[in-house]
Amino acid sequence: MAPLDTPMPRSRGLSLATVFERYGLVIFLAVLMAVAAVASPTFLRPANLVNVLTIAAPLGMVVIGQTFVILVRGLDLSVASLMATVAVLATAFKATTNDAIPLIFLAAIVLSAVVGFLNGWLVARRNVSPFLATLAMMIILQGIRFAYTGGAPISTLPPGMGFLASGRILGVPVNLMTLAVLAIAFGIVLHRSRLGREIFMVGTNPKAAFLNGVAPDRVIILCYVICSVCAGIGGLFLLGYVGTVSNWVGQGYELDSIVAAVMGGVALTGGRGNIFAALLGVAVLMVINNLVLLLGFPIEMQLIIKGIIIIGAAAFYRTRLV
Amino acid sequence: MSAIAMEIRRNRLVMSYLIVAMLLVVLVVAGGFLSDRFLTWRNVGNLFQQLIVLGMVSLGQTFVVLMGGIDLAIGSLVSALTVFLANFLEWRPDLVWLALPLALVAATAVGALNGLLTVVLRVHSLIVTLGMSSIIFGATLMYRKEPGGSVPRAFADVAYAKIAGIPVSAIILVAIFALAGLWLQRTRSGRSIYFVGGDREAARLNGLPVDRIVVLAYALSGLCAGIAAIFLTARTGVGDPRIGVALTLQSVTPVVVGGTILAGGRGGVLGTFLGVLLVTMLNNLLNFVNVSSYYQWVIQGLIIIIAVGIHTSRRR
Amino acid sequence: MSSSVIELSQIEKEYPGVKPLDKVDFAVQPGEIHALLGENGAGKSTLIRVMGGAVKPNSGAITYLGKRVSWQSPKAARAAGIHVIHQELALFPELSVAENILVDAQPRGRFGLISNRARHARAAEILAQLGVRIPTHARIDELPLADQQMVEIAKALVGKVRLLILDEPTAVIAGHEVDLLFENMRRLRNEGVGIVYVSHRLEEIFEIADRVTILKDGQVVGTAPVGEISREEMITKMVGRRLSQIYPARRAAPADGPDILSVRNLRTGPRVRDVSLSVKAGEIVGVAGMVGSGRTEVAEAIFGARAVEGGVIEFDGKPFPGRVPKDAIAGGLGFLTENRKDEGLFLGLPISANIMAPDLQGITKYGLIDRSRECALAERQIHDFSVATPSPDVKVGNLSGGNQQKVLFSRWSRIANRLLILDEPTRGVDIGAKVEIYRIVRRLADSGVGVLMISSELPEIVGLSDRVFVMAQGRVVGEVEGEALGEEAIMDLAVRSIERHKATAEEIA
Repeated sequence: MAPLDTPMPRSRGLSLATVFERYGLVIFLAVLMAVAAVASPTFLRPANLVNVLTIAAPLGMVVIGQTFVILVRGLDLSVASLMATVAVLATAFKATTNDAIPLIFLAAIVLSAVVGFLNGWLVARRNVSPFLATLAMMIILQGIRFAYTGGAPISTLPPGMGFLASGRILGVPVNLMTLAVLAIAFGIVLHRSRLGREIFMVGTNPKAAFLNGVAPDRVIILCYVICSVCAGIGGLFLLGYVGTVSNWVGQGYELDSIVAAVMGGVALTGGRGNIFAALLGVAVLMVINNLVLLLGFPIEMQLIIKGIIIIGAAAFYRTRLV
Repeated sequence: MSAIAMEIRRNRLVMSYLIVAMLLVVLVVAGGFLSDRFLTWRNVGNLFQQLIVLGMVSLGQTFVVLMGGIDLAIGSLVSALTVFLANFLEWRPDLVWLALPLALVAATAVGALNGLLTVVLRVHSLIVTLGMSSIIFGATLMYRKEPGGSVPRAFADVAYAKIAGIPVSAIILVAIFALAGLWLQRTRSGRSIYFVGGDREAARLNGLPVDRIVVLAYALSGLCAGIAAIFLTARTGVGDPRIGVALTLQSVTPVVVGGTILAGGRGGVLGTFLGVLLVTMLNNLLNFVNVSSYYQWVIQGLIIIIAVGIHTSRRR
Repeated sequence: MSSSVIELSQIEKEYPGVKPLDKVDFAVQPGEIHALLGENGAGKSTLIRVMGGAVKPNSGAITYLGKRVSWQSPKAARAAGIHVIHQELALFPELSVAENILVDAQPRGRFGLISNRARHARAAEILAQLGVRIPTHARIDELPLADQQMVEIAKALVGKVRLLILDEPTAVIAGHEVDLLFENMRRLRNEGVGIVYVSHRLEEIFEIADRVTILKDGQVVGTAPVGEISREEMITKMVGRRLSQIYPARRAAPADGPDILSVRNLRTGPRVRDVSLSVKAGEIVGVAGMVGSGRTEVAEAIFGARAVEGGVIEFDGKPFPGRVPKDAIAGGLGFLTENRKDEGLFLGLPISANIMAPDLQGITKYGLIDRSRECALAERQIHDFSVATPSPDVKVGNLSGGNQQKVLFSRWSRIANRLLILDEPTRGVDIGAKVEIYRIVRRLADSGVGVLMISSELPEIVGLSDRVFVMAQGRVVGEVEGEALGEEAIMDLAVRSIERHKATAEEIA
């Protein structure tokens, strides 16, 4: 295809286009925040900002996981259903004291890991398309959950769960701190570790990865496990936020997490993306939602805007070169 | 390879159909044993009356999946149309003749828009239709948050009408499926769906109008959603902005169960029809034997996985 | 020259960093078979795509049947009577032969519906006209590659063709089928069709073509009637230098010592029936044969990327432990795949990651990638293999074909210290890079690595190998070495065995 054996001249100076391409999301977020600040004096108030971030934290955790899966050309539609299922599981201990919290966390993580493993196994070993595998998992979890609760909401929770959502340590909200820890930990895994390199290899070219000694199946399954565990933890934090366990905790998070990741430049074709950019996507989404409320628009407007930005973002990133 | 094995391999699709048909027979027989109400005329009549909504959305989904895409906007579109129809007919019950074509045209237009966006922006169909779904859902909710509106009696009767004991809706459904099958198998535009779904680049090199075919598939999906919405509105008598939420994903199940592969280019409407029958009858039977609807979800999920397991030829 | 079927003038096509076509003038007369000759990557495929409407040129004019045209799509070109047979078959594997042949001309019967019977009758008619017997109900993916190619050719006979373009149609067919193809081409020529024929088999061009145009690096370097240009002139024009300057000197004495690799009676997948071959240290062993003869599958089996169904693969005289590529890599093997974009490179990742891909172990510390070590190692490889790049952080997708190939060489030669398998190592690279790659391969062999090289380019096989195994239809049908090593001998072996196989198959049937 390429007869010229000269290297691509890469411009070192940043042209306007490259700036826009590379920092588009940051610029977009900054503009959005400026607009919000001008439009509503409430926006920049600490209380509002903390509120926005608090709502953002559980979604951020899910997005971290979703990024892993999308990077290996997958998709996880079962995250929201898993969040609700984990929330129901948390009540199953009927615990009224905080002693049970470690146990709840442990149980949630084990359940999530099993769910993730099944998703990954279906995708990697049985060649089920990620869409169908996780869709089936979503419905199955939903059925099991409802069968257990009989459809009714429950609220037997250790009081400490609320601390996850609104508590502070040294003035820093616990949920944000957790999100930051998860982001950094998984950021290192993805962008610095050997496993992360293997993930990018599998996502860019699974066949080549195999021929270079990587086991794509194993990597893919691990990504689904990571995704589910992140979603499970996110579910517990969300539960702390809403307080009562309805069977639909987390509803919509499967789509929101995909929207945020795509907005953050994670390519659905796999092999391209960055956890921190994906989290910026969460911030953009949250600021937009907040802006809609502050401007007094009906809340349904959020749905419309979300629809427009996911299509727009995907079209924007598609135009980038390799 | 033996001649018989060759023949079976060649007719993978026929095999898929046979498997689903056999499961159907098993289901009917089992149903007859498990519940004495299952095989009554009354129940069968009811069952066929229910087929049309799931049948139509699944048919629409089949077109798009065969073409190599997926349509996740179906549910929102159906919801929006029921809201439109019920509110329009509450306002002017005499304008049924106008409302129905209007709904179908709007549905087709939205479908075509989905197709156009995937073609023009070259964004994955999943993203485009997901985004559109969100937009339609939001717009519908802004107009009506709660179920509302009403329909004239004559229109509602359509949903329950019978000719010689057979529900009209079932006759219409079968007719539409037959037409769809004929179109897919025996016309150039119909075959083109398979070409584009099989290999888009090869279709382009063979001089097929790929973009037009993509848009056509989505437009047909929209049209099918429109027909589904008409019958749904007639049956429920109201416009419910959330009624279609579950339909999007439900529309995928019969398609997959019927042996159409998600990658496109292989499958057909007969499979989808059998899939719709299977799913509907199974849920119906589970109701009769008092399995909670919660477990029906679990079973539906398992069916998807098992169906994919049966139909995908294992690679490697 | 208003009598031309098609006339291109000053056609240019440019992609970022690449210019496949540079001011190309090209014309085809009615009733003429015009051969288009050039190295891989010379721009032939792009030129074909421009004529067929699949690629729009950046500038230049196309005159078709006396009118200026600008194709918007392959559909427009096709409707006007241009039929292209692409190198990658444009077939639908899930669908029947009949449907593939009549893809945009399905015969209609009653009520304007497609008639199944008419479809099969028409397809059978066309296949008969072509002179091949292929069942019209068969699905494409059931057919051998050669039959698939004949189906692709049959498509050209469906409508009214004014200009027929064939891109290396003989890569997967041989003997009788080639004769059939040529017969049909002559018939169409006599009916006044203009034919563009792309091939790098010079014998074929002398046999069938009236005129030849030679492309090099996206430019036309010569057009002449076939009778007025010699074989040597063609090669010199195409390659830009004399043959003797291209290949490094062969090793002085035949390699001795034990075999590194020994394959006996290998059977794998549907294609490989019975393959035995061997490689010694320091030896370049060529594997020749038609595309589709099972060569790649043999390489995959050796590398552990494909299950072995029968036979033995031995490494240093011991059964080879490689169940998966990982084990093979650990044992000192490397496999440079045929299709560098689909199976070799990680286009979206930097050069450094591509070079170090099979050796993550060597750059991992406490589970983390040691970036500075990775870059240092990669930079050394980039230097050793003179990959033209400003930095190891450049994404491989931004390199030219030749440099991408060098990245793959630098990857595998670093860790493949026993045996390196090369599958079409110079596909799609220009002659300069080719010469460098030949030097690299020889240098590796001289350092004691065994090299197993699969290639469709006979000159390359002959020019570089110490020993050659010829494959046909999943079997090794012969071994050539020393004085006997020549293109004729290899082709003879391949074609003769295919013909014999066909004859017996027909006797049985």
